[in-house]
Amino acid sequence: MITFGNVSKFYNDWPALESINLQVQQGEFLVISGPSGAGKTTLFRHIWMGDLPSTGTVEVAGYRSDRIKKADLPFLRRKLGIVFQDFRLLPERTVFDNVALPLQVAGTSPKAIRRRVFSLLAEMELNHRRGSFPHELSGGEQQRVAIARAMVAHPVILLADEPTGNLDPEVSRIVIDLLIEINRSGTAVILATHDPRQVPAGTARFLYLDRGHLVNPGIWDGYKQL
Amino acid sequence: MIHLIKNAIHEGLLNIRRKLGSFLITLLMVSLSFMVFDIFLIISWNLGSALKDEQENVGIEVFLMESINEVEAVNLADIVSGMEGVRSVYYVSPQEAEAVFRADLPEQADLLTLLGPQFHLPPSIQISLHPDYRTSEKVGGLARTISGMDGVEDLVYGKEYLPGLTRAVDILEKLVILAGLVLAVSLSLVVANTVRLAVARRSLTVQIMSIVGAPGWFVKVPFLGEGVLTGVAGAAGSLIFTLAVSWMLSSSLPHAFLPGKWIILVLILGASSGAAGSWIGMKSGIPKPRS
Repeated sequence: MITFGNVSKFYNDWPALESINLQVQQGEFLVISGPSGAGKTTLFRHIWMGDLPSTGTVEVAGYRSDRIKKADLPFLRRKLGIVFQDFRLLPERTVFDNVALPLQVAGTSPKAIRRRVFSLLAEMELNHRRGSFPHELSGGEQQRVAIARAMVAHPVILLADEPTGNLDPEVSRIVIDLLIEINRSGTAVILATHDPRQVPAGTARFLYLDRGHLVNPGIWDGYKQL
Repeated sequence: MIHLIKNAIHEGLLNIRRKLGSFLITLLMVSLSFMVFDIFLIISWNLGSALKDEQENVGIEVFLMESINEVEAVNLADIVSGMEGVRSVYYVSPQEAEAVFRADLPEQADLLTLLGPQFHLPPSIQISLHPDYRTSEKVGGLARTISGMDGVEDLVYGKEYLPGLTRAVDILEKLVILAGLVLAVSLSLVVANTVRLAVARRSLTVQIMSIVGAPGWFVKVPFLGEGVLTGVAGAAGSLIFTLAVSWMLSSSLPHAFLPGKWIILVLILGASSGAAGSWIGMKSGIPKPRS
């Protein structure tokens, strides 16, 4: 589903990623940990092709970085759901409108949007908040709305970039549980985090990224070593 | 696709509603800028109409020799009527010239009595010209040809004022085009700045839309629509303001308002300035998605 083939990325000769070889299978849960500046976000940007590799190729859901056209990017991104540390909710829109956005930009009918958003908000226990604006929500609620927005269009891969970075431990656990549940329903989840211990052992594959390099991929188990 | 287009339009309308205040200020700015142009157009239109009326009267009056008889004069008129640029020719006999003189200048009619029955006003030919031939250059050329013909004593065609009149009409037409271009550029920049500010204010929305899979045009259409709407509504507003001013001044300063064709031109200029402004604003304002 995702393949990184010897991918390197340089910003003004500074290597953000170097010789990355990585495969993610359908329905897999992958945790990528590492310190700040290790290249986790750059790796994510290459998955949704907000950045293209300097060398090597990335293939995501059938789209290859060396062949993709600008017009194909929206179609690739509709197969992905992305969650950010700072939520990135649109402040002037209600919870309903924030969650509905990916369906609106894909041309879904208003009736289908209403049906899907209501059902998802109910699933995530956010229905009572559908008319609220982001600033009226707690951090945990905002992140759940962000996850709902990422999941509303039935993505095949969910990218979560430090989704618990701004949350307290209790709310973080709720968010991680939600990601595990999403993964169990068949969506591949890639989680970038400083703290891989948030994810229970045995539920995910762990990788460690340091200064743009994957550290001993295949044998490193960050969970046990931390 | 229909839902996508509907959503894009809805998105554009929402943007305007969310910042109605700044949209109205921009609209007022555009309207006032356009009003200067509208007033300039009204002055040009009225001045141009007066000059064109004057040009309508441009013709050649050919005075024939006294010795020429009526048959020869009519033959000469026939030859002249076949010349390029001549629309019609009218022969004025000495008797008709005298009748016209008495009718137009009754207080001077005694002069003819004093000069006695032997005196006759000369016969003449009045030539009217095709509109394209009413320039000083073309009339001059035709006049030179006719003045060399047998039986022609003299001719008059407004040699003194015609070059100035032709130049004035020419300059006026160029001024209108130049003013239109200058205004289009300046309004495009006003709209561009507004759109750039709107894009900057909505940079998070633009980025998120791009990340969740919005096609490029879906992101751009609302800004483009906003620019075109600002241009057209601004131009329409200026026409309403100018019409009010024109109506208030009509009794003290009689003039005509702009004709329908020019009004449409002003609206088209508004729409194209708005579209160009949006394009410039988006080109420099839309951010690349980041995470």
